[in-house]
Amino acid sequence: MEEFKKQWLPRALIGGAIGAALMLALVWVLDAMPWMSHIWHFRNPFAVWAEWLIDGSGWPGPSLPNLCLAILAGAEVGVATLPFADSGRELVARSLVHFAVMSLTVGLWAAIDFGVRELPFFLVPLALVYALVWLGRWVGWYAEVAAIREKLGLAPGPSLFHWKESLPYLGFAFLLCDVLPLALRVCDAPDVPVLVGLLLPYLLLPVGSFMSGLSLGRRHGFCPLYPLACGAFFLPTVFLLMNYTALPHCLMAAVPALAGNLAGAARHRMKRKKGADAP
Amino acid sequence: MKVEIQIDPELDEPVVVLRVPSPTEEAEALAQRLRGEAVPQPFTVYQEREALRVSRSMVLRFYAEDKGVSCQTGKGVFSVRQRLYELEEELAGTRFVRVSNSEIVNLDRVAGLDLTLAGTIKMTLEGGTVCWVSRRYVKKIRQALGL
Repeated sequence: MEEFKKQWLPRALIGGAIGAALMLALVWVLDAMPWMSHIWHFRNPFAVWAEWLIDGSGWPGPSLPNLCLAILAGAEVGVATLPFADSGRELVARSLVHFAVMSLTVGLWAAIDFGVRELPFFLVPLALVYALVWLGRWVGWYAEVAAIREKLGLAPGPSLFHWKESLPYLGFAFLLCDVLPLALRVCDAPDVPVLVGLLLPYLLLPVGSFMSGLSLGRRHGFCPLYPLACGAFFLPTVFLLMNYTALPHCLMAAVPALAGNLAGAARHRMKRKKGADAP
Repeated sequence: MKVEIQIDPELDEPVVVLRVPSPTEEAEALAQRLRGEAVPQPFTVYQEREALRVSRSMVLRFYAEDKGVSCQTGKGVFSVRQRLYELEEELAGTRFVRVSNSEIVNLDRVAGLDLTLAGTIKMTLEGGTVCWVSRRYVKKIRQALGL
């Protein structure tokens, strides 16, 4: 409780005040631009309900729900400037809770002002921001550990996101995602392309990427760049042999690769744990 | 470089102070060499009621357990009469660094370091003992290593 009062509360209050000030400034700026008004005053059931709350009050600024949500969002951002925990599960859990609360706040605001259909346009960028922040921090931690290893004279350890360890498997990914479709297209019937249209995306691609991801995971653990590479390698095939409607097929390469890699990484971890526990 | 010896009868042990105009790598390296030259005091540890002397180089780590502090070496685990914060003060400036609320580790006996996705550092000591380094204490490790 002491820590909350000392550290969290002041930041929440300052953040909330800044959030309110930004919302007030935003509304006044937008009101000064008539061409924006048809976007800002989008009519939906939530907005009607919200405006009923202040009907007749003559309040020139943002609606009460908008203002409350802006204060809440500001408080959440203020609290995010503190470290949630040292590390480990506590850090992950608190970060997820913060993301959930922030998503709820942003989602409510988007639903009130823009409608429920527009929610993905707000929540997906928010999730990306969180992912980028986490990624940036992790890269910093990785660099710290690498420097400590070097000073202690220890072996270098795995490369960042296991990119070096993934390199030998990229050759297979290239063959699977680029060379094989080309070969199948040559063998395919011109009128009904069964090989490229059915066999490749629904059998060869998923099985091949899953098994290669599994092998990589068993040898080196979680390698997040490999599934991304599989998806990216299939892009030229989409545009050269198919058309833009086949873009989701990139996921047929990336998702099984990720699933296989995670399964392999789990087995890798179990094996290491067994080795550590063995007398 | 000027070298002076000042006699001070109030001191319990020799204290070497390096006065430099600015922090440099040479000064840090000289300080490290002097620390290495100092004869390290062995630890007094206890096994049941028997007191033993253990040299610092043999110690893997000190850790708090069951309201007491234990000393782990390659040959076994012994108990220590000091508290963890007392050991931390005594070992300041050496290769013994506090890595969590309950552990002080000998950096010369570290065999491996791994980073988890959540940012926790898994430190493996010689013999396979695993410690988890809290992020709060990473700065101390970096200071001890001159990073």
